[in-house]
Amino acid sequence: MATILKAEDLEKVYRVGKVDVPALRGITLTVQEGEFLAVMGPSGCGKSTMLHLMGGLLTPTKGRVIIDGEDLTAASDARRTDIRRRKIGFVFQRFNLFPTLTAEGNLRLAERIHGNGADDPDRRREILSMLKLEDKMHHKPLELSGGEQQRVALARAVVNRPAIVLADEPTGNLDTESSALVLKMFRELNDRFNQTIIMITHNPEAAAACQRIIQMRDGHIV
Amino acid sequence: MDSLVISNIRQRPLRSAISVFGVALGVTLVMLFTGLSRGMSDDLQRRSANVRAEIVFTRPGSLATSTTANLSMKYVDLLKQIDGVEAAVPVIRHFYPSGPWGVDQVEGVDWDSFTRMSNIRLVQGRGPKAFDEVVIDEAKASRNHPVGSSLKLFGDKDLRVVGIYAPESGARAKLSLEAMQDFLEAPGKCSYVLVKVTNPAEQVAIARRINEKYPGNTVQLTGDFFPSIEKSIPGLAIFMRVLVALAAIVSALVVMLAMHTTITERTREIGILKAMGASRRYIISEIEREALAISFLGLLVGFALAALAGFFIHKATGLIFEFGPWWVLTAAVIGLVGGALGALYPAARAANLDPVTALAYE
Ligand SMILES: Nc1ncnc2c1ncn2[C@@H]1O[C@H](COP(=O)(O)OP(=O)(O)O)[C@@H](O)[C@H]1O
Ligand SMILES: [Mg+2]
Repeated sequence: MATILKAEDLEKVYRVGKVDVPALRGITLTVQEGEFLAVMGPSGCGKSTMLHLMGGLLTPTKGRVIIDGEDLTAASDARRTDIRRRKIGFVFQRFNLFPTLTAEGNLRLAERIHGNGADDPDRRREILSMLKLEDKMHHKPLELSGGEQQRVALARAVVNRPAIVLADEPTGNLDTESSALVLKMFRELNDRFNQTIIMITHNPEAAAACQRIIQMRDGHIV
Repeated sequence: MDSLVISNIRQRPLRSAISVFGVALGVTLVMLFTGLSRGMSDDLQRRSANVRAEIVFTRPGSLATSTTANLSMKYVDLLKQIDGVEAAVPVIRHFYPSGPWGVDQVEGVDWDSFTRMSNIRLVQGRGPKAFDEVVIDEAKASRNHPVGSSLKLFGDKDLRVVGIYAPESGARAKLSLEAMQDFLEAPGKCSYVLVKVTNPAEQVAIARRINEKYPGNTVQLTGDFFPSIEKSIPGLAIFMRVLVALAAIVSALVVMLAMHTTITERTREIGILKAMGASRRYIISEIEREALAISFLGLLVGFALAALAGFFIHKATGLIFEFGPWWVLTAAVIGLVGGALGALYPAARAANLDPVTALAYE
């Protein structure tokens, strides 16, 4: 089994005015290909910060992140953006779809940004059918339920075959029923496509669906 | 529908329309002013083409666009005696204010010699004789001035239309030379003498001959004498350049403001684009495309507005607009470049946003 993600002694200190706010205090973590990992912990313990560092949206104060063999921390800003484009799919709590575009438009935009060779009609069809989105593609986000929007966001995150999906409380805005459905789809993605996933969650049931759970507290893994 | 550009423009129809209109306004201004200046000078030149003289003889300092009757009539006979000269015809040209913004002109000619030299013919009535008689061309006659009607041109003197001629040439209204001399209190004077040569191939040589014989006057070929208005009013060219620059600045500012608000409003979407791995270049080009789309619509609207305004102003005032390809191109470049430059700063700002901050934006 190949290592997809490696975080070494990650530290992050935010500077607010003249005050240093330490958010991560040395995180070391290895994620294997095909793993479905849950991250739990109280609010403010640094989960989102860790996810942003792993996705190259932030740079660490100290430590390294290596994703699919590429060192994110040593890379320039443009290079990190490029690694994000090729290797990472984000899913957010608040869906973050483009409201003026249809579901189809949101997917196409992701494909266009990803660029060359992204179009794989078979995989695309399979994903949409698995997420039960085939008849939703011409709707705009506001015409969809929360669960449907999150499924579109999930489709958008995986349509370009990212090495890893980083999900920050993807069911945090959903009712129980929708949550269960979306979680089931994360599971299926992991099962059928061997998709590597790191998912932050507060929901013990959601975490129970994962192969591995890491608990965080005060910027540490406990 | 998967174009962010088009969906953004449609998302905010009022703001898009205002931006489009802002660009259109600049384009319309450029088109109208340049079209007017070109239209008027082309009209002058077209009308001068029917004067069949090759050479114009004036006193120095006379402009084709101002009233002067400072040339002695004695030159008419003197010029006729020069080798190769077939005819010499004196003309007085007088400019007077007309309409809300316009200037119009009237000529005094010796009708018999003038028509003998040119290809101008009466289509109705007869030539002007008495001081209150005037002949007009068909364009003017068509504005409800038949033979026998009275016409007020300048001052408060009523003139009587005694004839209608064609084709158009110089001023649309012509009095007798004596009538103009009387009116301008310039007895024995004219504005210029039109000289027709026997052999047009020799016109340059004959012009030189005239110049040597009567130095101190101005001898010009007809084509040079009726210059474009741009050349005879030196400030106009500068004014037009200033106008074009202003139009560009207006376009740029309007588009800059529109893109700036768009980007502020869409901060989170820019964060999403960044999370998805969109490069700076991608984000800038996305915003520039939106700006160019708005500018392009502005161009189309601007051209339409200019054409409409030109048509109605012409109807109302008789001012002539001609939209030459060069200025159409200039206006197009102004609108597009202005828009693109205006969007550059907001686009660069968007491209430099921090993704996490942008994603947290409400
Ligand atoms: N942009 C920021 N500026 C300053 N402090 C921040 C910023 N983002 C997060 N923090 C702080 O870092 C700590 C960890 O935050 P976060 O990673 O969002 O935790 P979690 O996602 O586990 O709730 C918190 O104390 C939070 O206040
Ligand atoms: Mg969080």
